[in-house]
Amino acid sequence: MHTDYIHIILADDDEDDILFFTDAFDELKINTRVNTFNNGEELMNYLNDDESLMPDVLFLDLNMPKKTGIECLREIKTSDKMSGIAIAIYSTSASEEDIEKTFVLGANIYIKKPNDFKKLKKVLSEVVSINWQYHTNALNKDNFLLRL
Amino acid sequence: MKKKYLVQSTSFLRVILLLSLFVILVIGGFTYRHISNLTDSTEVVIKTYKVNVELEQIVSYLRDAESGYRNYITTKDTFYLKPYLNTYKKVNNSFLRLKGLIEVNSEQQENLKVLKILTDSLFSNFSKTNVFVKNDETNTEAFKTLYFKEKIIIDSIRRQSTVMFELENKLLNIRQKENQSDLQFTPLFFYSVLLATLILIIIAYNKISNDLKNIKAKNDQLLIFKESTNQSEIIGNHGNWIWHIDSNKFAYSDNLYRLLGEEPQSFEATFDNFLKFVHPEDVDKFAEDLDKMIDVEELPVTNYRIIQKNGSIKYLKTYAKAFYSVDGQKRLIGNTSDITDEIESILTLEEHNLELERNNKELSAFNYAASHDLQEPLRKIQTFISRLEEKEVDKFSESGHQYLERIKSAAVRMRLLIDDLLQFSRTNKPDKEFVSADLNDLFENAKQDVAEIISEKKAKITSDNLPKATVIEFQIQQLFSNLLSNSLKYSKEETVPIIKINYTKVKANDTPDLLKASKSVYHKITFTDNGIGFDQKYAEKIFELFNRLHNKKEYSGTGVGLSICKKIVDNHKGYIFAKGKINVGSVFTVYLPVN
Repeated sequence: MHTDYIHIILADDDEDDILFFTDAFDELKINTRVNTFNNGEELMNYLNDDESLMPDVLFLDLNMPKKTGIECLREIKTSDKMSGIAIAIYSTSASEEDIEKTFVLGANIYIKKPNDFKKLKKVLSEVVSINWQYHTNALNKDNFLLRL
Repeated sequence: MKKKYLVQSTSFLRVILLLSLFVILVIGGFTYRHISNLTDSTEVVIKTYKVNVELEQIVSYLRDAESGYRNYITTKDTFYLKPYLNTYKKVNNSFLRLKGLIEVNSEQQENLKVLKILTDSLFSNFSKTNVFVKNDETNTEAFKTLYFKEKIIIDSIRRQSTVMFELENKLLNIRQKENQSDLQFTPLFFYSVLLATLILIIIAYNKISNDLKNIKAKNDQLLIFKESTNQSEIIGNHGNWIWHIDSNKFAYSDNLYRLLGEEPQSFEATFDNFLKFVHPEDVDKFAEDLDKMIDVEELPVTNYRIIQKNGSIKYLKTYAKAFYSVDGQKRLIGNTSDITDEIESILTLEEHNLELERNNKELSAFNYAASHDLQEPLRKIQTFISRLEEKEVDKFSESGHQYLERIKSAAVRMRLLIDDLLQFSRTNKPDKEFVSADLNDLFENAKQDVAEIISEKKAKITSDNLPKATVIEFQIQQLFSNLLSNSLKYSKEETVPIIKINYTKVKANDTPDLLKASKSVYHKITFTDNGIGFDQKYAEKIFELFNRLHNKKEYSGTGVGLSICKKIVDNHKGYIFAKGKINVGSVFTVYLPVN
């Protein structure tokens, strides 16, 4: 449908994180279009709408009001229409429990939010340039958590 | 041994009794025989006298007849013939009596026959001479011959009776002599038999009195034993009971009544009466358990509650075992003790344990949540700092730059603290899995964790070959990397850090560090460095949380790393010790149990 830009969606309730996220893409000079949602419910409403444009990559925070990232992940991966979306978990925590759970539910990559803006830009540029087809085939528990 | 003695004693007494009975029977038999012998000989004497009397009577009758007849011949008066006429009848009667008295003796019988013939011929002679007297021919030659013959016959009769009389006396003498020898022997026999009986009775008496003494002594011991049992029951808070199963009768010890809160022996000991005290919720189980004890004869302890009359609830424990008496009667002998105090202290202990566990869980949850949630604002602070550095740095004055640097390093330090705390709280969770792992692999991974500082400080690390062990893998890796980073962090400036890792397997008995160890064999791994060392008096303190020996400016520790090490080793039921010498280095020794 579109080949000239990469469609990116971020679902995160934290205003600061949304700011860092959009700033980073602004500075990255990659041709992207970024949509953000403040909670899981808003995200799912959008995705379930037939009119909506599906994202190339969905960044999903885990700890959100109304509908958590885990719930969104489960819904997306069990829906025929949405299961193809590449999902990057984008969370402050990198607890083994969360990593394990999201891996099992079918997320494609796990990003621990960096504490440095430069690192953030690097992580994001890496993620949007991933060949998801290739990455998903070679996916295992060891390379699921993105390390730089 | 004592039992055997009693059995022997009983059979001994039985033998003595039988012997005495036998002796008395023998005495009786002998006495009877002797008395009947005496009676016999008396009878013989009497018979002999009777024979003599009869013989003398016959002679005297005949003499009377003869003298009367002679008077008749001289006077011819028939009055004198009277005795003669009576004599024949009387003599015949005497002959009949004599025949009865002497029938046994054949010689005397012959003598009697001769006498009879003599008397008969006398009487026939009388009748012949009588004819001469009546005819008054007494002067004739024929009469004189007959009269003379009469005289000869009477003499013969006298002789014959004397012969018989003497023979009878001779026989009497022989019999009396026989009896005499019997009678002489009798007192001696009686006396010796009586003596023997007396001796037997004395032996029996002695035996019985000895046995009685023994039984009395045993009884005394039993009494003492009973009293000491009573006392021990009171002190030990237990009581005992006997259930005679065949007759369904019970006996309770005094203290069992006390356990039930009652006066000793204040009510009849029955199953139902006991059941009245058992807690309603436990009655069924209690009755069932006792039934089982009768069948199985030996069962594990049964626990139940009772309610005393004053309302207080006690916990009792009962154990019983079947026991057969000598005569095969089945009994259940039981012991019941009051375990209320134990149960209550166990309950309080459990309560305390639960509370402790709850507190611990709360604490570690709090620790985890706090350090986890602190990460987020800190991350933002750090990100904003990086934004400031990147975009706004030109607009800052000199002091603005300085402040920014200070904020930055404070934030880094805070991150270190939070990361360490998080690590520490994760080490807390005990539900980690133990797996068999090659410690060499874990050590290599740990080296990777600190690879950056190793290359930066150009440290030299040498290691022995490490064993395989059953461990929580990520924790042991954490332990190794914490120890390595500790040695690297506290290395001397301008000296190449050298860290040596040594391994030996040791026995707890041979190792002074492991005097209180619970296992017998341990893996001993030592980390020796040439760093700044520490004063030995802090050897234990350095494992405490947030404990630091140096200020933050010199060395960047948080005081958590070694606490994590201690916790990990504790989780593995091992031991960790530190030894230090200032400016020489430190040695950390880890003991992990084998298996």
